[in-house]
Amino acid sequence: MNSAISTIFAISLGAIPGALSRYYLTLFFASRFGTAFPYGTFFINITGAFLMGFFTTLTSKFGISQVVQLFVAVGFLGSYTTFSTYALDTSNVLQARGYKTALLYWLGSPLLGFISIELGIWLGRLI
Amino acid sequence: MLQNPVIRAAVAISLGAIAGALSRYYLGLWFNQLFGTEFPYSTLIINISGCFVMGLFTTLLIGALRTISLDTRLLVTTGFLGSYTTFSTYELDTAKLLQQGSLEIGLLYWFCSAVLGMVCFQLGVICANFFQIRNE
Repeated sequence: MNSAISTIFAISLGAIPGALSRYYLTLFFASRFGTAFPYGTFFINITGAFLMGFFTTLTSKFGISQVVQLFVAVGFLGSYTTFSTYALDTSNVLQARGYKTALLYWLGSPLLGFISIELGIWLGRLI
Repeated sequence: MLQNPVIRAAVAISLGAIAGALSRYYLGLWFNQLFGTEFPYSTLIINISGCFVMGLFTTLLIGALRTISLDTRLLVTTGFLGSYTTFSTYELDTAKLLQQGSLEIGLLYWFCSAVLGMVCFQLGVICANFFQIRNE
């Protein structure tokens, strides 16, 4: 298959399950733990960062094909995690719960995201 | 089949997600050509522009666009903007910068993304409010 077409297909096919799992996980977390704190987006971004570290380490180790990389890293993980909702959540938490909770979410996300990507990289190297 | 609201939501999110992920990829390639790959400008520009549009659009949804259907809201916010911006690549960029030994640049990128994301989100909110007040 033409490489431009396979690129578009790989990214699109990854983006659909990525965005849908984000949507349904967010609904699940909201129904389980309420909407006072954005647990859904928090969980999604942290786990997505972990998987990104794990997958990219395996990629450089085992030489996974370009199409699979586009499908998993650019399509699925890129769409599963989100930066714009993280900003929206921070703004909502600031209005509903005050600056302390908002600051916790705003700084906690990139901090835990970084720790979990490093964990993913470490685990990938271990295998 | 398309009358079913559960299926409509899934289709709307999927269509938005395809457009979002593809624009992230191709804009990213273009930004890499323009600015080089030494600093992850591409992810930074994509994330903060997505935050701007998120602030703009969600504010318009309370005002001028409040009659818009749930499917369209999901298509734009959860589908397009959710997929266009990315958190995992942002953390990957940070990890890469630190691995290359550039501690200051890594921290700068890591912190500036979070700060500029909020600044651009608020700019979007302000722009939407300005637009709505002028049109009342």
